[in-house]
Amino acid sequence: MSALFARLILRPLWADRGRTMVTLASIALGVAVIFAMDLAGEAAAGSFRSSMETVSGGEDIEILSTGGLPADLLGRLSGLPYPLRYSPRIEDFAIVNEKRTVPLFGVDVFANALELAEAGNRAEPKLTEAGQRGVFTTAGLGRRGESIRLQVNDEAHDFTILGTIDSRQVSGDLVLLDLEDADLVTGRQGKIDRILVTLPETEKAAVDQWAERLRQGMPEGITVRPVGARKEENRKMLAAFRWNLRVLSYIALLVGAFLIYNTISVSVVRRRAEIGIVRAVGGTGRLMVAGFLAEALFFGLAGGLLGLALGRILAEGAVKLVGLTVTALYVSSTAAPVEFAWSAAAVSLGSGVLVSLLAALAPALEAGRIPPTEAMARGRVDTQLQAAAGRQLAYAGALLGLSWALSLLPPWGGKPMGGYVATLALVGAASFTAPSLVAFVGRRMTGWAGVEALLAGRSLAGALRRSSVLVAALATAIAMMTSVGIMVGSFRETMLTWIDRQIRADFYLRPAGEAAMDRHPTISEDVARRIEQIPGVLAVDRFRAYSIRYNGLPVILAAGDVQAQMRYGRTSLQKGDNADAVRGMLAGEAVIVSEPFGEKHGVKVGDRITVPLGQARPSFRVAGIFLDYSSENGYIILDQSVARRYLPADEPSNLAIYADEKADRAALRARIEASYAPRRIALFENRSLRNEAVRIFDQTFAVTYALEAVAIFVAVMGVAGAMLALIIDRRREIGLLRFLGGAAGQVRRMVLFEAGLIGLFSQLLGVLSGALLSLVLIFVINKQSFGWTIEFHLPVLALLSALAFVLLATILAGLYPARMATRLNPIEVMHEE
Amino acid sequence: MEKRNLTGCVAILRIEDVSKEYVAQGQRVVALDAVSLEMAPGEFFALVGRSGCGKSTLLNLAGAMDFPTRGTVRIAGQDTGRLDDAGLTGLRRQQVGFIFQNFQLLPTLTVAENVELPLLLAGLRPAPARARAIESLAWVELDGYENRMPHQLSGGQMQRVAIARALVHRPRLLLADEPIGNLDTATGNLILDLLRRAARDFSAAVLMATHSPDSTRVTDRVVEMRDGRIQ
Amino acid sequence: MTRRQWLAATTFLKAIPGWRYEFPRDHFSHPAFRTEWWYYTGNVADAQGRPFGFELTFFRAALAESVERRNVWSTRDAYMAHLALTDIAGKAFYHSERLNRPGPGLAGVDAARGRIWNGNWESLVQPEAHRLRAVAEKFSFALDLAVAKPPVIHGHGGVSQKGPLAGQASHYISFTRLEAGGEIVLGAERFRVRGSAWMDHEFFSSELDEKLAGWDWFSIQLDNREELMLYRLRQKDGAASPWSAGSYVRADGRIEHLEAAELELEPGRKWKNYPVAWRVRVKRLGIDLLAEPRLDSQELLSKAKLTPSYWEGAMVFRGSHRGLGYLEMTGYDDRVLFTRREGVRK
Repeated sequence: MSALFARLILRPLWADRGRTMVTLASIALGVAVIFAMDLAGEAAAGSFRSSMETVSGGEDIEILSTGGLPADLLGRLSGLPYPLRYSPRIEDFAIVNEKRTVPLFGVDVFANALELAEAGNRAEPKLTEAGQRGVFTTAGLGRRGESIRLQVNDEAHDFTILGTIDSRQVSGDLVLLDLEDADLVTGRQGKIDRILVTLPETEKAAVDQWAERLRQGMPEGITVRPVGARKEENRKMLAAFRWNLRVLSYIALLVGAFLIYNTISVSVVRRRAEIGIVRAVGGTGRLMVAGFLAEALFFGLAGGLLGLALGRILAEGAVKLVGLTVTALYVSSTAAPVEFAWSAAAVSLGSGVLVSLLAALAPALEAGRIPPTEAMARGRVDTQLQAAAGRQLAYAGALLGLSWALSLLPPWGGKPMGGYVATLALVGAASFTAPSLVAFVGRRMTGWAGVEALLAGRSLAGALRRSSVLVAALATAIAMMTSVGIMVGSFRETMLTWIDRQIRADFYLRPAGEAAMDRHPTISEDVARRIEQIPGVLAVDRFRAYSIRYNGLPVILAAGDVQAQMRYGRTSLQKGDNADAVRGMLAGEAVIVSEPFGEKHGVKVGDRITVPLGQARPSFRVAGIFLDYSSENGYIILDQSVARRYLPADEPSNLAIYADEKADRAALRARIEASYAPRRIALFENRSLRNEAVRIFDQTFAVTYALEAVAIFVAVMGVAGAMLALIIDRRREIGLLRFLGGAAGQVRRMVLFEAGLIGLFSQLLGVLSGALLSLVLIFVINKQSFGWTIEFHLPVLALLSALAFVLLATILAGLYPARMATRLNPIEVMHEE
Repeated sequence: MEKRNLTGCVAILRIEDVSKEYVAQGQRVVALDAVSLEMAPGEFFALVGRSGCGKSTLLNLAGAMDFPTRGTVRIAGQDTGRLDDAGLTGLRRQQVGFIFQNFQLLPTLTVAENVELPLLLAGLRPAPARARAIESLAWVELDGYENRMPHQLSGGQMQRVAIARALVHRPRLLLADEPIGNLDTATGNLILDLLRRAARDFSAAVLMATHSPDSTRVTDRVVEMRDGRIQ
Repeated sequence: MTRRQWLAATTFLKAIPGWRYEFPRDHFSHPAFRTEWWYYTGNVADAQGRPFGFELTFFRAALAESVERRNVWSTRDAYMAHLALTDIAGKAFYHSERLNRPGPGLAGVDAARGRIWNGNWESLVQPEAHRLRAVAEKFSFALDLAVAKPPVIHGHGGVSQKGPLAGQASHYISFTRLEAGGEIVLGAERFRVRGSAWMDHEFFSSELDEKLAGWDWFSIQLDNREELMLYRLRQKDGAASPWSAGSYVRADGRIEHLEAAELELEPGRKWKNYPVAWRVRVKRLGIDLLAEPRLDSQELLSKAKLTPSYWEGAMVFRGSHRGLGYLEMTGYDDRVLFTRREGVRK
């Protein structure tokens, strides 16, 4: 049996090395991309731990509240008659030596002293030598005795490194301070960000009961919950994003599927004679099917294994790309090292094998049905497919209808499953249209277009199964490229329009350093006050943001100056009445929320929501919904007077400055800069904010572009390989042309024409289906995943240039096959039996 | 039995002391050994011999598809050894027509498209090419078959289309490699008669390779070959 | 500047004669002195006679004379506490230690409320009783120690001298007999217990004299309602220092100072390198006792080199008299230092 396999299947594969390589490579690439994306996504999200989780000591319960916990809560807790350990933490970020941002932790060095000393860390209670301010860092940030500059919020402080933290217990670099210094440097004024509670070993299983026990007697606004909860929430939050990424990463494999189908089909066709012989001597149809499925299995396994290795390498680079997106949109994450996850490997390999087998199913089954006699006949055109083309057009129509119906479905489990399946249906529809398109145009090519075009068109139509599969493969890649390009372009346009409309302040100030979704460093209040005094400044809107959890998902709760916003900013609501919203917010009974928040949590104007604020849990009426593209998480906006009631001492995260139109901008800017001089504050003028937004935007789509490029590459490579196979299979015809007076140049031109026709057909199908796909992407997948309304814009220039590039690449892919064609020796091929 | 050059014109094909050797699997093969042959327009020669005696090789050389190792091949007076690829292609386009044992029609083209193909390759415009193709089809008595596809034809019809194609550009030399090998006797005789007529009507020299001695009854001369030599 | 010079240059108060004791004020914290502790030890048993020993100690160590109070976390004194339970019948010894800054009520001494605490270990000092509460992972107890005898002050002139220089001494107050009653929870079991406890309170600023390695300290509650407090300061060569001393408290509460010459303390058999059995003789008082540990393994191993390891355990005394008490042995693994340790173990 295995000898049969080797002779019938493996040896021809080896003989046809080039094509085998190409097919293997396409599967390998497909699997590599899926694997790389999975690994990278896991690593970039820090295994779903935010930077705050980097220092984990086996704590079980966390206690937190918006705006911080009062210190005396810790005193009360420690006096409770429970065998629990309490670790207070101040958690923030610091920019180290003006370069990187790392997490900064304030811990009780005293309480930890015994453990740290036992573990070999020389963490001693604060030195009695006055004036010495020290920190502990991981080895990557410096050595003991060196000095280190930390910028927290808008001020910089110099410290000495007292010791090095064992990096095996933490992931990534971080800075550790004693609570006293951390409090001063972060301006917490006695507040604690989190209290972590550790249960004794024997009680670890009873986490929920202990959390409940601790919750008794705590004010309402304080959250007590098991520590794993945040990890789960991060996982949920990133779920939609990672799913989209996952789906995208499967495109390359999908394209590869077409190529497998082609390869196996070609195998079957070429070996018709052998199959007939084997059948004639007693081989069963099932043996044939098994044989070709085995060939597909070989491609799937060998290509898949190659892909795993390649994917592991690619993952390193992919981590950076994905990490940019995760940080910009979600959570400051320290990338964990890329780990070879067996489950991800199994899924990727399994996908590769499954897709290969599925793709080979149809041609393999056909091989099983070849009766022995038919194999002897040669030179017959595959007329069956011509009739089938009509049937397939009907399938295409049905799939089109199906995809429309699917896009109407609501999300399932927070994911736009209907949208994903609709995408597949559209791709299917385009694929089923390909044969009709190729046959229609190909058969109608006449000598009027030149003899090369005539021959090219007819040959494509004559090898309809193979050519239409190629067209479908390339069209799929083009459709993806087109649809994503349109979606991204639309998104960009929508966002820019929104910026122009909504962002009306003249200057924006925030603490210097890289922005991330879950970091809200602050500016000192005195800076705001000083700027208010500058003549020419109409108003300073202090914006204060907190990351909170709402229904298990992260949300940004923000307080701003509603009056200034409405008067100078002219914010308009997408839903709800402006005047009513302002009144309600100033009165402290209403809030406005952003569109993604409304979508995700099913909140409409008029609903009430309850929000943890300091120690309390007040409820507010939702008076309006506004468009916002700066965060997928969603915003809840209160007026600052309300926020101050619950969180009195807090400083702003950023300032929006409205200036008098008549004021001299440059002078005003200089005065503002002077007012905060030594502080680390970044100033954005209105127009540069636009550029900043665009920069972040492009950064977040970097990984998408990369995935598209891979899919296109796979498709074009497939075209080259398949065309080569076509040439080889038509060598007798090509030889004949030479006998009939065809010149070498004419043969070359004919092959290039074929490549060009494939390219054109693919572009046509791809652009059309891509346009339809973009509708699904924009109005279904995006809306259900993230909650944004995106206006449809066609990025004409970008699209045209991309399409032209792909067309060029396709024609270039025909260069090598064309050369092969001219190199054929007509005599040899004509006299082959 | 040798037949004389009837017209006494200048030979359209002159093969002078031609040898063809090549290396196959490390062995030196002598396909032709000092072969000489002359054909005048209108003459119909048969090349007879067993498989492997060198008939096909001789035909390839006669059709300017290959070069001799020694000796010269002249077609319409031109030494093929002196021409480059473009020159050979041009020579073929003007002077030579090929007919094959298994017809070799392009399955994706209609009958008319098959026939006009050599003209299109030569650069003729579609309209006049089509006109001449139809003429050629009429000559082989297949008018009305323009839009049929090859797979709709019988073996004999396919070979007639092939002949129409081979004659569409009025070549001076027609080379036929086992033209009736895949046909039954009756159809085969029809084809042979057609070839005879082609030699007469178009003053073409027809050189036919065959291993069947019966087909020699229509020819002017039978050239026997064995082991690369003419007997 | 060397440690010595620095120590000499500080303005922490030294324990010298002339201190005017005032109670209840002096039961609580003395920040002007650098080091202070409150030591509770006791022997108790339940109705079936199942015996336990317990120790609860609160330490205060000043890090500097004065520290700028920048926020609630600013720390001038570090508070440490030790907790131990000897399950004599079960032959098990449990101990726990913690170190805390005062912070927002994490640890400290509140004279107004009579509270000495470190996390959820506390002693509420009231005129008639001290109420101890302590919760550890494996055990907890709540014991009320009723004051059976008034507190005594050891030494001459109100200081317990431990070395030749002035100030090498401590102010040392003891409650030598407290009637203990309460509950011990060990694992899943609860025990209602009664017994007898002892409380020591010392405050001082000096360091142990250079020549000394550590000490062996006895608290003995005889069943004739008399008590003995004896300490043997141990020199590096192993011999007893002439600055050793003791106190004898009569049944009526009067205290008599015992000089080093009167004490004969002979170490006996060893467990690890601790002599856990002793012969205790004070000829003048007719006291000749053999001291045996109620459990050999009662060593408090320090997790870190921040505090030394020491042996503190329940003892039983037989011979001329019978009694129960505690023995503490320090300095057997490393030299005892009261201020911040530095450098690796030698």
